[in-house]
Amino acid sequence: MTASAPTGNRMAEAPIFPLRVVDGLTLPPEYRKALRPGEEWKDAVGVSRQLPRYFYEVPSWDTAMKIELATHFLLWEFIQVDVREAPALRTFPRYVPCAITLLAVCLERFREAVGTMVHISANGGYRSPSHRFSRNATPHAWGTAANIFRIGDTYLDNRNAIERFSLIARETLPGIWTRPYGTPTGYAEDHLHLDLGYVLSVPRDVNS
Amino acid sequence: MTKTEKPTAHAGATAASQRESVLQDRIENIEKESGAKAVAVALHDGETDFDLHYRADRWFHAASTIKVPILLGVFAAIDRGELLPHSRVHVRNRFLSVVENVPFRVESGRDSNSAVHNSIGKMMRVDELAYHMITTSSNLATNLLLGVIGPESVTQTLKELHVDEGIELKRGVEDELAFEKGISNMVTANGLLKILVMLAEGKAFSPALSRRMMDILHGQEFNQGIPARLPKGTRVAHKTGEISTVAHDAGVVYLPKRKPYSLVVLTEWDQGATGRSRTIASISHAIYETLTGTAVKDE
Repeated sequence: MTASAPTGNRMAEAPIFPLRVVDGLTLPPEYRKALRPGEEWKDAVGVSRQLPRYFYEVPSWDTAMKIELATHFLLWEFIQVDVREAPALRTFPRYVPCAITLLAVCLERFREAVGTMVHISANGGYRSPSHRFSRNATPHAWGTAANIFRIGDTYLDNRNAIERFSLIARETLPGIWTRPYGTPTGYAEDHLHLDLGYVLSVPRDVNS
Repeated sequence: MTKTEKPTAHAGATAASQRESVLQDRIENIEKESGAKAVAVALHDGETDFDLHYRADRWFHAASTIKVPILLGVFAAIDRGELLPHSRVHVRNRFLSVVENVPFRVESGRDSNSAVHNSIGKMMRVDELAYHMITTSSNLATNLLLGVIGPESVTQTLKELHVDEGIELKRGVEDELAFEKGISNMVTANGLLKILVMLAEGKAFSPALSRRMMDILHGQEFNQGIPARLPKGTRVAHKTGEISTVAHDAGVVYLPKRKPYSLVVLTEWDQGATGRSRTIASISHAIYETLTGTAVKDE
């Protein structure tokens, strides 16, 4: 499979999504090592999950700042990672799983429901399987999870706020999973984690 | 050595010994008058090579002076290329105690500067965090940096630089559970002095990196200790440390037309005792007068 531009769009009047789709298996070794495209990875309870193979290539931070994945969500919000991310993935071009667009649509719907701004935290959108926070298979490495630390002026750092917005998310987004409030592993006490599960997105342009 | 030099050297040694004795007496008097439970002082004068060690190997709770070794650890990671000054760190207020990994937070009221707390959920640069860790003693910035580099790497750095004696880094700051169990970061005056002398002499990693660390220490905003009774315009690169039972200050004093001197003053107190900073300032004042032979008029 070679990287391909989204040329198969039949609706000529519709805007063309500007990011190139890339097969992770064709990337240079340092990227393949960090992204582990298509590999199996066990989750916290030992179930094997298949990592994404297809990614959007983000050429620059400028591009990430401009691309709207949804009306109120720009691409950069989903790819903010800190020094804990693999070095190859902290410089551009960056690669983000194609399912990120699904997450953006869900968050837009969630934003409508809460009626105010939804802030994704650093390291709280896409992070690779090589990120130091990624101990087991986490939907963050599929680009289908978001950690939200603030909604409007409310910091989600207490039970009341987390449970209130968690309920709104579950009512608004059928099938969404939210992490329960609490301190043990698997719980969250300083953000709202929501995810769509281990969704793999294979764009139409991909033909192998 | 010539015959004519011998008496001079002897006179020099005698002068140093007299100076040491005078200083010891002055510090002892200040200590008695202060009501402190314990005082320790370590001094190295880069101009004359004069050293003073007053209970300088006694261990104290480090309080925020431990942030100087942590700063060294951060710059070690920069020196190794693992971090860049502009590397970005996720600001998250959630840490795990060394006791059973129980999560804890740094209370925003405990940091004198809200800049780091205001960035929760976002990212800050390593150099910004290092600056806040030292200049306003941000506990949140400290724990974030320690989370990135790891306490063990700081300890390793101290060993490699041969300044590990007198420094025990066991945990991040504000780990109350660890404090209750008696697990605390500890320092001696001599331990901190070795680090300061190395920084002042530009020998930590490289002269450029040493200078950058000194620049950060020069930005210190709490100046009630060592600098308080020094002449106006004296530059002091330093780090204070204070909890309910200790008050410390450790820094390098730059005076015009002479090499700097490095000074560490550690003090221990009963809870609620007053005059803590004043005691440190008095000791610093006495040292200044003795080293320069100049009296400072208090304003």
